[in-house]
Amino acid sequence: MKFTITRDNLQQGLASVAASIPTRTTLPVLSNILIEADGAGVRMSGTDLDIAVSLQVAADVEEEGALTVPAKKLQELARELPENPVRISTKADRFELACGRASFKLNGMPRDEFPTFPAVDFHDAWKLSGQVLSTLIHQTSFAVSTEESRPILNGVLWQLGDREMRMVATNGHRLAVMKQAVNFPGAGRVDLIIPPKALAQVERLFAGGEEIEVGRSENHLGFRQGGTRIFTRLIEGPYPNYEQVIPKDNDKHADADKAGLIQALRRMSVVASEQTHRVRLSFNPGLLRFSVESPDLGEAREELEIDYQGEPLDIGFNAAYLLEVLRYIPTAEVHLTFKAPERAATLEPVRPEGESGPDYLCLVMPLRLLE
Amino acid sequence: MLTRTEQIPQALQSMPRRIHVLPDTLANQIAAGEVVERPASVVKELVENALDAAATRIEVSIQNGGKTEIRVADDGCGMGRDDALLALDRYATSKIARPEDLKGVRTLGFRGEALPSIASVSRLTLETAEPGSVGTRVRVAGGRVLGAEDCARQTGTTVLVQSLFFNVPARAKFLKGAGVETRGIVDILSTLALANLSSAFLLQSNGRTLLELPAAVDLPTRVADLWGDEIARRFISVQLQREGVSVAGLVERPDVVSPTPRRAHLFVGGRPFRDRFLIAALDRAYRTTIVQGLRPSALIYLDVPAGAVDVNVHPSKAEVRFRDRDLVEGTVEAAVREGLAGLDSAATLDATPAMPQIRRLTTEPRGGGVPDNQLAFFVAGARRGEPPPDEDAAAGGAVVPLDEAVAADAVPEPEGPPSLWQLHDTYILAESRSGLLLIDQHSAHERILYEQLMRGFGSTPHGPDGVRPEAESGSVAAAAVGEDGEDEVDVGRSGGVASQRLLFPLTLRLSPAEYTVVEDAMVLLRRAGFEMEPFGGRTVIVHAAPQPHPYFSPERCLRDMLAELAGGSELTRAARNQHERIAMTFACKGAIKAGQRLSPREMQELFDRLFATELPYHDVHGRPTVVRLSLQELERRFGRT
Repeated sequence: MKFTITRDNLQQGLASVAASIPTRTTLPVLSNILIEADGAGVRMSGTDLDIAVSLQVAADVEEEGALTVPAKKLQELARELPENPVRISTKADRFELACGRASFKLNGMPRDEFPTFPAVDFHDAWKLSGQVLSTLIHQTSFAVSTEESRPILNGVLWQLGDREMRMVATNGHRLAVMKQAVNFPGAGRVDLIIPPKALAQVERLFAGGEEIEVGRSENHLGFRQGGTRIFTRLIEGPYPNYEQVIPKDNDKHADADKAGLIQALRRMSVVASEQTHRVRLSFNPGLLRFSVESPDLGEAREELEIDYQGEPLDIGFNAAYLLEVLRYIPTAEVHLTFKAPERAATLEPVRPEGESGPDYLCLVMPLRLLE
Repeated sequence: MLTRTEQIPQALQSMPRRIHVLPDTLANQIAAGEVVERPASVVKELVENALDAAATRIEVSIQNGGKTEIRVADDGCGMGRDDALLALDRYATSKIARPEDLKGVRTLGFRGEALPSIASVSRLTLETAEPGSVGTRVRVAGGRVLGAEDCARQTGTTVLVQSLFFNVPARAKFLKGAGVETRGIVDILSTLALANLSSAFLLQSNGRTLLELPAAVDLPTRVADLWGDEIARRFISVQLQREGVSVAGLVERPDVVSPTPRRAHLFVGGRPFRDRFLIAALDRAYRTTIVQGLRPSALIYLDVPAGAVDVNVHPSKAEVRFRDRDLVEGTVEAAVREGLAGLDSAATLDATPAMPQIRRLTTEPRGGGVPDNQLAFFVAGARRGEPPPDEDAAAGGAVVPLDEAVAADAVPEPEGPPSLWQLHDTYILAESRSGLLLIDQHSAHERILYEQLMRGFGSTPHGPDGVRPEAESGSVAAAAVGEDGEDEVDVGRSGGVASQRLLFPLTLRLSPAEYTVVEDAMVLLRRAGFEMEPFGGRTVIVHAAPQPHPYFSPERCLRDMLAELAGGSELTRAARNQHERIAMTFACKGAIKAGQRLSPREMQELFDRLFATELPYHDVHGRPTVVRLSLQELERRFGRT
């Protein structure tokens, strides 16, 4: 293998792939990056066996070939190189790099030891805007569970239908769901459960408006745009019936200023229990009262004017959950609904007149309040 | 009042009666039956007399386990000839004079029975001399005074007891082998030596030295002289004063408590006594810090106001009676628990842990030539042979605050927040003022959750009050139902345990035994944060669960808890009642697991909350949460010393 590449192309390719390469692994070759040179240019690939990222970069290829090299070292090296063309070649398992008057030799490992990528069929691929997909990912994947006893909840549910797609994530305490109109005639409905790590790569590499292709095989999903590909293992379902838990009969409605809510909750959090972050919200006509009582620490109270006309309601929440959800509400005003102190509350963006956007709903389960 | 020696024989002669008063020698022999059982009891009585005579050095030598000969020599105040003769009379004593004295008795003996009793069952020679006068030698055999003569002797008293029980063959027959009797003497002298630190003791058996104890500056020194340095380093000091009751002493560090028989010594006012209820209080204080069933060693020194204890319950004074037993037991328990909350109670990697740090009480200057036997532990008022000083001096004035270095180390945190390091996703390393702390993240979190839930239940995690003792089996459900009304009130007031509603309720199918546990403990489980209801068959549905940490799985925790509660385990058997059982199993199953990577913030929170608990160094299984390594040990290992 022998090729010449600009320093910037090398850096960009390495940076795109590096995030998929595990820092600690029992399989040494996984900490390497696979570099392949052929007629089309140079392809760099990395994987942690759950997800794989592969990227084509422009290069002047003199001799085709492939080798894997330690990703971290190569990336550190690329970062320090002067802005000169980089000449790369291999001799057996030795990787050689020259740039300006500097030259380096790194010990590589042959391509055979590198895991092969899953075969994903892009023939019947869904085609959609990378920007739309990234928004869905961004607005929902924060809500996935970090606790490992229910692997299903460690994934993000992506439901694709003929006219609508949805993305849903929850940890069993709060949930985020976003809907987007699409047009996939005759595709039928498909439920995919995807590790959020893979979606983070998608969001990172495909945030632009270009159309991306999404193809699947039995257990894997592939994303493709231009020379960049992301493959991920799918989590096996079924996903819990989230639609059933989204309340339809919440009869208490409030509209509040998001910034005001966030600031008050942040102040309450200072005094709230470090473990439960419990804060009490008392909704009264026109007024929301916050209060926190931590036996070991003290108390906090605050009031916020809101638009609320229902019966008075006292409800407890984990302030951290509320704050997190509020952070993702894309509008300045937020619409909240409630039924009772032990029932789910919902939060939705309030879009100004004339503006429209994807349907977005967050749900937060309350904490039990004890008198 | 008749005096026995003159009037009774007369009466016997003049009027034949079937009932008569026993002659003195026989009465003494009978009294000896209570006081003098074995050579060890002779040693005890004679050494106590020596201590009451303010001896600073007491030498005991025995032959053939004391059966042939016991010699006790002291450098005490001695006696004149008249006193020496009178001392051999029953109820002759210098220690009390009026009935009121009995209440405030501070001397070891006072009944005036010991010496005549011993004399009545042996051949006894008493040599004694007061300062600056000629000595007296009195010889007695079987209670008959054979003669009194002058002798040359330094100030002090020597009692030689030979041929014990020569005139009571029935009793002589019950004496055990010389080895056993010797051990009895070693034990009794050890106990007396632990009670009297500033006196030196020597014990020789057939010319061989068994104990050689120089006057000790404090209890750890005496313990080290007695049982060896290594044993002394296994102890930590405890001290507490409450409502006039002062408790001081040494108790065993929980991590070194072993299944071997314990050394438990109790003293009140410097007097050894037995009391299984106080030992039970000690064991209660150790709850959760050691494996259930282990018996920690302890030396507990009590001091109570005059009149608060009756020592005249038992002829050999082995038992005492406290006026306010609950207060004494409570103070002992609280003192030990307070000791177990300190850093020095934590397990250590040190090859030679530090000697226990005694909080020194001031001692008054020696007055009137009476040696001060109460150097280290006792409040000044406890000094024998003197009236107790007023309460204020005993309670406050005499106590010197904790040694500065010890106080500083009580808080393991150095200046600023300690930097914490996670080792193998299992242990947290922290710097302390005196070295390094290794914290087991799971054990630490267990301790936190246990105390938190017990408080949520409205009980102190360790106090005797709060939780009623376990009702008989079968009534747990009834008790739980009975508490239903106060349920929410309790938890609300104490902050309780928060319960997070679940978006997807858990449906658990249970075994019959597990289902019974849920039925019985529904209310407590609810107060622990698990809100559930029966769902037909043996299925329950869980609507809400606590969330003790972000990696918590309610399903796994609840399933493990129910399995353990249904199946029983060492932990559930160690619990005193259902509250503890639920709290312990929840702590054990709900705590952060080993192998869980923690962020620096999470480590910090765990660290802070651990050291806010009552017993931060011990988890609920009786295992350590913290193992410490001192700088001294590191210096030793690196050859810096």
